[in-house]
Amino acid sequence: MALHEVFSTIVREFPLAFYGSILVGVICAYLGVYIVARRVIFLGAVLTQVSVLGLALTFLPVLAMPHTVGSAAMTLVTVVILSRLLTGKKIPRDAVLGVVFASSVAVRILVMQKTPRVEAAEIENLLRGDILFVTPELFVLMAGAFVVVMAIQLLFFKEFAYMSFDPETAATQGYRTGAWELLFYLLAGVVISFSTHMVGDIFVFGYLVLPPVAAMLLVRRVRSIFLVSVLIGGIAPVIGLVLAFLFDLPSSPTIVAVAFVVLVVAWMQGVVRGRK
Amino acid sequence: MDHPLIVFQNASLGYGRKVILQDVSFEIFDGDYLGMVGPNGAGKTTILRAILGTLSPIKGEVRVIPKGSSPIRFGYVPQRDAIDSFLPYTAEEVVTMGRYKDIGVLRRPRTEDRRIVQESLEHVRVAEIRSRRFNDLSGGQKQRVLIARALAAKPDVLVLDEPTNGMDLSSRVSILDLITSLHSNDGLTVIMVSHLLDDVANHVRRIAIVEQEFFRVGTVQEVLTGDNLTAMYRMPVRVEHLGKSTVILAGGGHGTA
Repeated sequence: MALHEVFSTIVREFPLAFYGSILVGVICAYLGVYIVARRVIFLGAVLTQVSVLGLALTFLPVLAMPHTVGSAAMTLVTVVILSRLLTGKKIPRDAVLGVVFASSVAVRILVMQKTPRVEAAEIENLLRGDILFVTPELFVLMAGAFVVVMAIQLLFFKEFAYMSFDPETAATQGYRTGAWELLFYLLAGVVISFSTHMVGDIFVFGYLVLPPVAAMLLVRRVRSIFLVSVLIGGIAPVIGLVLAFLFDLPSSPTIVAVAFVVLVVAWMQGVVRGRK
Repeated sequence: MDHPLIVFQNASLGYGRKVILQDVSFEIFDGDYLGMVGPNGAGKTTILRAILGTLSPIKGEVRVIPKGSSPIRFGYVPQRDAIDSFLPYTAEEVVTMGRYKDIGVLRRPRTEDRRIVQESLEHVRVAEIRSRRFNDLSGGQKQRVLIARALAAKPDVLVLDEPTNGMDLSSRVSILDLITSLHSNDGLTVIMVSHLLDDVANHVRRIAIVEQEFFRVGTVQEVLTGDNLTAMYRMPVRVEHLGKSTVILAGGGHGTA
């Protein structure tokens, strides 16, 4: 099958997967620029795992509720708790995140052990992120979150940029830096929980890190970094889907692999440019 | 210089339940040039945070008294090592951040804001590096850009936290001369924290010795005495005057503090 035929087949047969992967790729790539710049990449990994745990908990009879609600609730509560714990001096920041990460993974495995076999398999599918079977409800929810989060991010671009660059000085000018910080992480929490439910934790974490780092290697202006990161986040998933379809590969890992190749190319051009 | 701008009245400062400074009372006046010195961890930055309103006193009060109808505006210059971003902002973009509060939310910088940014860059003599990335600048250049950002906020009071920390001699002198000129030529009230006694002693008009159980404020001649410094550092310290310069000799007179 020719490339253009594969492409049109995906768009025709799996429109939600096609547009959904672009939505997730773009928004994770945008938020990821701040996450990488603030050196809180581990927080991205932690929130994806907490989101998966929230999702897994909804399979327990006592906590039965819509998966998206469980995942989002767990992630947002964690964000609020972490916003307190991460500013404390008693436990190092990385240690707090490590505790939450390890606990989330461990509890998720225990939960899966106590769910009926069929449902455990379903959880595994969700974790692997089978984009091809995105439901219309989840897609609408993700699209709504995309519009709201991107609107807030773009409307308050200079405030988020200032808070990320120098929160101490921003606070002296009357900005409530704690509230802005919490808002940023709540928005990230919403995106991560919906996205993880939709495409899986590998895709989400991968796109929080790989496109921003590639963009930082390719361009040297702040606005260009956001733009290039978003472009990679929007284009690489499409290439990944086509390759997954052509070579019968799992979609999420293929999409992440494409972003990794882009990162390697960006790094190599940086090396070549550095030699000139 | 008789109008008090900032008044500490029996203020106890700290974080959570931990008190760092107890019952501190002093005033900072309009037109003051105050240096705060003291050992690391003594509470110098804590006092700055109380002045800037980002830390409330545990006990007592810290009042900022307006000169007229408008509130006092602070221009803050943080320790430049505290700014650690992977994003390659240009010097001009960093200085523009000083205008953000005045620009307001949902608005872009206006012509007036751009003019103020250019003036601030020119005022501290870094206009020629406006397009260079902040992360690529030398320590002295970074410090000038941060001072320009503080000036872009059109402050009444300039507050600097360790402005010469980690700089070579020529950069130190150059930055201190710039700060002194902002005080004497532009009439700014300046509050400067430093643990480098020589820097402070030879530039400021008044000095505050900050130590948990030893807090003194006054003119350089009143406060910067061998007895006070010996009590603060718990080691022998002498103060010598060579012409107009003050030299601090520590540890039996073999080195400067």
